Amino acid sequence: MGQSATMRWLLLAPFAIGTLFLIVLPALMTFALAFFEYDALSPPAWRGLANFSEAFHDPVFYTAAWNSLIFVGFAVPLRILGAMALALLLERRRQGTSAYRAAVFLPTVVPDVAYALIWLWIFNPLYGPLNLMLAAFGIKGAAWLVNPDTALGALIFMSLFQIGEGFVLTLAALRQIPTDYYEAARIDGATPERCFWHITLPLIAPWLFLLFARDVVITLQSSFTAAYLMTGGGPYYATFLMPIMIYEEAFDRFRFGLASAMMLTVFAAVAVTLYAVQKMMRHWLHEDHV
Amino acid sequence: MKTMSEKAAFWSFIRYHPWRLLAALLFTVPLVWVVGFSLRQPGLPPPRSIEWIPDPIVWGNYARIFDIVPLATFLGNSLMVAAIAVPVTLLTASFAGFAMARSDLKFRQRMVLVCVLLMLVPVTALWLARFILFVNLGVIDTIWPLVAPAIMGSSPLFVLLYYWSFRRIPNEQFDAAHLDGASALGLWHHVAMPQARAATVTVTVLAFIFYWSDFFSPLLYLKSEERYTLPVALQIMQQMDKTNWPLLMAGATFMTAPVVVMFLLVQRHFWPDESKGEKTSAVAG
Repeated sequence: MGQSATMRWLLLAPFAIGTLFLIVLPALMTFALAFFEYDALSPPAWRGLANFSEAFHDPVFYTAAWNSLIFVGFAVPLRILGAMALALLLERRRQGTSAYRAAVFLPTVVPDVAYALIWLWIFNPLYGPLNLMLAAFGIKGAAWLVNPDTALGALIFMSLFQIGEGFVLTLAALRQIPTDYYEAARIDGATPERCFWHITLPLIAPWLFLLFARDVVITLQSSFTAAYLMTGGGPYYATFLMPIMIYEEAFDRFRFGLASAMMLTVFAAVAVTLYAVQKMMRHWLHEDHV
Repeated sequence: MKTMSEKAAFWSFIRYHPWRLLAALLFTVPLVWVVGFSLRQPGLPPPRSIEWIPDPIVWGNYARIFDIVPLATFLGNSLMVAAIAVPVTLLTASFAGFAMARSDLKFRQRMVLVCVLLMLVPVTALWLARFILFVNLGVIDTIWPLVAPAIMGSSPLFVLLYYWSFRRIPNEQFDAAHLDGASALGLWHHVAMPQARAATVTVTVLAFIFYWSDFFSPLLYLKSEERYTLPVALQIMQQMDKTNWPLLMAGATFMTAPVVVMFLLVQRHFWPDESKGEKTSAVAG
């Protein structure tokens, strides 16, 4: 037994060491750096809470925070609804289901840079198929990414098609529900709507919470790639998001301390949100419904 | 009787397909447009309506993208990164998943929780600190920062995928092999891995996509152009010629096609399992 325990730790070692060096250590460093002035050349100098107060006194910080809030606030619920709708549509296997599932997953495997480039073209006012399609219906399309009123919305819209991960997760959640529940409900004369609200939704709720948490993280990340490559934060700060601001502070101005302080603020905001949602959903997450 | 059931089948067919077909088209048609546009003659005036097939069809854009940037070099670099990172990922992820699966209940539950929590860590938040770490290790402008995530199995999800596959193997098989004198590594090699082929295929493809698509690692950790990978090439191409859309769509297609083909080849392993009872009803229906 002792030997197999040693072997177990040896097999776990690469993963554990990798996680330590690539996740735990950088996370701790970020936390510590938030209280220092550091430019990667001269040694770090203690700054106390000055980084935070500098960030909180910068009006651009509030613009970035507000834009990120709008992005996540619209994108995440819509992405989860989309993933759920697709999973419910394609849950049961029939002829053609595999092809449909593969089709809706396809945009998710497109590399980020290619995805950004493709949507840059789709949104193009002159050449873009979106406006050509709208013109066919007699609607005059906007200059989506050039107009400050539509740019952020356009980025949210394009994020709604890369929802393969949520789709598969919801599919797995639906498969966990024993079919007897539905049969019992049907014998009792329950309508499909009632089955959905009283069986399906409560039983997949913990999965949806997990998906929500993961999607907040993914959305923050993918919004950055899109804004960085497609609009550069513009026009007029319309798509200037928190990750863009952090990136610029860190890698353009080499203000690692200030960037870390902003990062910690985002982290804290995400943690508080997740905690609040978990509290609100507690009824669903923990109660045994069956 | 037969006509009745045929009629029912017909109506169920009619009810089943339209919405699903619509969803499938919504997610795939833009990609079809992209491929179509990549075959368009550069320099033509903008189209008046959506062109499904351009006239004339021009393949030259795919040759041009190799001329305007050193695409072959970048392609080689990308393949090199994948050639190192994917096999290492398979080893580390399956090792960790195997160690988890062979542990007691309490440890297993804790590790699953750790993996789920790790999946909630935004990688963007770690770039900055990782950058400082790589600077201090003196590996900036080498391939190592690009392949580094492989030592942690690239993603906790890959560890979990292996863990779930290994958990499905009956314990008796491990016990029997153990009695025959197999070591833990022997169990991994002879019992666990052969029965987790679906997981291996899935992780291979997902890991390949992960490294193939990675844009920010080369952007942050590389300096010399001759070490750049394909995603950076695409960005350079865009900066060089912002309005040559046929050419840019050819670049996007060139980068996307390999992962799409790989995904389509293995997609049947992606979907959560069906139980046997439903399979027969699916055949019947």
